[in-house]
Amino acid sequence: MSLEDSLRAIVGERHVLVRPAELIVYESDGLPGYHRRPSMAVFPADAGEALQVVRALAQHGTPFVPRGAGTGLSGGALADGTVLLGLQRMRRILEIDPVRRTARVEPGVVNATLTKAASPFGLHYAPDPSSQTACTLGGNLAENAGGPHCLKYGVTLNHVVGAVVALPDGEVVTLGDPHGEGEAAGYDLIGAFVGSEGCFGVAIELTVKLTPNPERIVTLLADFTSINDAAVSTSAIIAEGILPAALEMMDQATIGAVESSIYAAGYPTDAAAVLLVEVDGAAAGLDDDVQAVDRICRAHGARDVRIATEPAARARLWQGRKKAFGAMGRIAPHLVVQDAVVPRTKLPALLAQIAVIGEKHRVKVCNVFHAGDGNLHPNIPYDAGNADESARVHAAMQEIMLACIDAGGTITGEHGVGLDKLAYMDQLFSPDTLDAMCRLRDVFDPNRRANPGKVVPVRYCREWRPPASRQMTDDRRPMTEAPADGVERTAYSVQLQDKAKP
Amino acid sequence: MTFRPGSIPELSEVISASAARAQPLRISGRGTWLHGGAPVSADAAPLHLDAFGGIIEYEPGDLTITVGAATTIAELDAVTAAHNQWCPLSPWGGNAGSVGATIATATAGPYAHALGLPRDHVLGLEIVDGTGKVLRPGGKVVKNVAGFDLVRLMTGAWGTLGAITRVSLRLRARPVVDETWAVEVDAMRAIDAGGTLRRCNTPPLACAFVPDGLRTSFGLGEHAHLVVRIAGNAGYVSAARAAVAALGRAHTIDAGIWTALREAAPVPAVRVPMAAGVRSLNARVRSAFDPANILNPGIMG
Repeated sequence: MSLEDSLRAIVGERHVLVRPAELIVYESDGLPGYHRRPSMAVFPADAGEALQVVRALAQHGTPFVPRGAGTGLSGGALADGTVLLGLQRMRRILEIDPVRRTARVEPGVVNATLTKAASPFGLHYAPDPSSQTACTLGGNLAENAGGPHCLKYGVTLNHVVGAVVALPDGEVVTLGDPHGEGEAAGYDLIGAFVGSEGCFGVAIELTVKLTPNPERIVTLLADFTSINDAAVSTSAIIAEGILPAALEMMDQATIGAVESSIYAAGYPTDAAAVLLVEVDGAAAGLDDDVQAVDRICRAHGARDVRIATEPAARARLWQGRKKAFGAMGRIAPHLVVQDAVVPRTKLPALLAQIAVIGEKHRVKVCNVFHAGDGNLHPNIPYDAGNADESARVHAAMQEIMLACIDAGGTITGEHGVGLDKLAYMDQLFSPDTLDAMCRLRDVFDPNRRANPGKVVPVRYCREWRPPASRQMTDDRRPMTEAPADGVERTAYSVQLQDKAKP
Repeated sequence: MTFRPGSIPELSEVISASAARAQPLRISGRGTWLHGGAPVSADAAPLHLDAFGGIIEYEPGDLTITVGAATTIAELDAVTAAHNQWCPLSPWGGNAGSVGATIATATAGPYAHALGLPRDHVLGLEIVDGTGKVLRPGGKVVKNVAGFDLVRLMTGAWGTLGAITRVSLRLRARPVVDETWAVEVDAMRAIDAGGTLRRCNTPPLACAFVPDGLRTSFGLGEHAHLVVRIAGNAGYVSAARAAVAALGRAHTIDAGIWTALREAAPVPAVRVPMAAGVRSLNARVRSAFDPANILNPGIMG
């Protein structure tokens, strides 16, 4: 039986797509600019079907790419002529245990849906990516997703207790300790699996922690006439020993985009930057922290600090932040999104450097980011149809990324490497470290059929090469541009095809 | 035969030469290592890592620190305390052990329930694997998803995948108010009392049952006691104090009891046995990073 027929027999006629007109929907993820068309897309209904699909793919030796809601920002869920394994039909919450404070879910459950289901128990799922109303928990696990509230509560890694995983060869393993019986023996394989970007297999069932809802939440908006003052205030708040639930910064360009959109949150449009600070927890002592944040911001040059305690007022302040990426769609049709992290004390210098780089290349950089973590999101709206502008945007991004690496930072804090940041991996890691990552991947997927061509540049998986020179050559430029026909393969995936056939 | 390399190239040479000769090695930092499930095989030559100590990089404003793996927990505590910060690693076993061993064994401590396990505090590592290759996964920033997570893999691997030489850690600011209370409880209901505290609106930083041996040295007499550490700003601690008092007769006590508890009570975790599929993955991980099976052989079972 052909692979297509086998898959139809497992999931039913309707849930296997092969026609280009249907597959075009799956050509991109949340990062416009990359287009890779899968050869086929298959959508299992439950864990049993998902496992059978993985086994059929193994029998045929076919590479595949797991995908949740496709909201990722690294090109990680794109299938380049391979099979796309869509998990969004698997959206049942299997169990909520309010005593142990855990939930057992299928991978296609939407992040915010779990929080809604847990709310009658006074619990919520803490990691909150801005796409939380659409993104899936399986996708969050694959990317080790973050979000504004991860400053206090930790990222996905800190909230996944265990997972039932279909390895690419069709074997099923339970990683971690989903039943809370004690520490799992052996290596921390669930720790290794979280954030493996779909390269180690498919999580067909997840057990995650639920967090008690805070007794009280206060949101502050501090308004600055200098971006440097906002950055310095960030460090000062943390240095004081206050651990806000979230500490976000938006610059003037972002505020402008938000305020002229339907997501207008009432931010001061003449501000150089605003800080959105949320403190939460026990009601006792919370006001001390609120007053301290207010005092610190004013002492470092804030013109005004607004304090919101009512849910509606808080939601309005948050709306602008959560929808900022969407609002940038008003400026230009395409957007380059970056996700570098720098040591917090380097934020003022980096923000100044980013401004200089933007000016030099005549591009508009919109900064909206998790200041408390030093997790920058310098975004540049542009028109991919304008070749000159595209070239300037990519040159600017490359300089910004290298500046972040030079400052002792990293290339991605929460979005993942995917396709988008492959070109920076060897600026960050030695060939031996990259080779070790490939060795770990081979433990889970020796034939490298799961999400081929992502995360680690293929050359490190195959042979050692001397470290490249600092200047990126053409083939190492991030390929954020779609070729004219939208399906041309990258150098990485072409190399991988021969390896993919066992 | 004993090895005491003084530099990374020397360590790398020791390991790759040992791999070539199939000479097993027993990795030792400060020599206080707790045993895992099984002892290292008897013919293993000690490999001392005490040369890899000291504070390498500490920028208090970033609340991160990078130390040599042989740095003791006591040194880490002292250096960070000078800037009114701390690292909640504080493992069972006490302060004499090294940071490297704490990470290698993933030994938790009394603050794990409130602040997380060793895997939650480690940001980056430098490791020499079983083939002598130097790996530097992770980094020194507090959020990082670049590449596959070798940091989590090596944390709790008991040195069987590589010798840890350098560790980057996340720090915390010390709380403004930090009090330790001893509260009289009915011994049969001590676990319930601890659970009640952890679920209240002002949960403690730590909560532990005081073992018989420690009661007299801390003047607690014959009665069973819970010891509770509450920390935060003044308003929080005041409410937390009320929650503690609601459990029974309580009084403040020297915070040194936490170190005494850690030294007295190495608490082994309940280990869930491995299913066949996971066992096979574990064996493959082992052979990917230590193909000659020379690093602490036997210790992971």
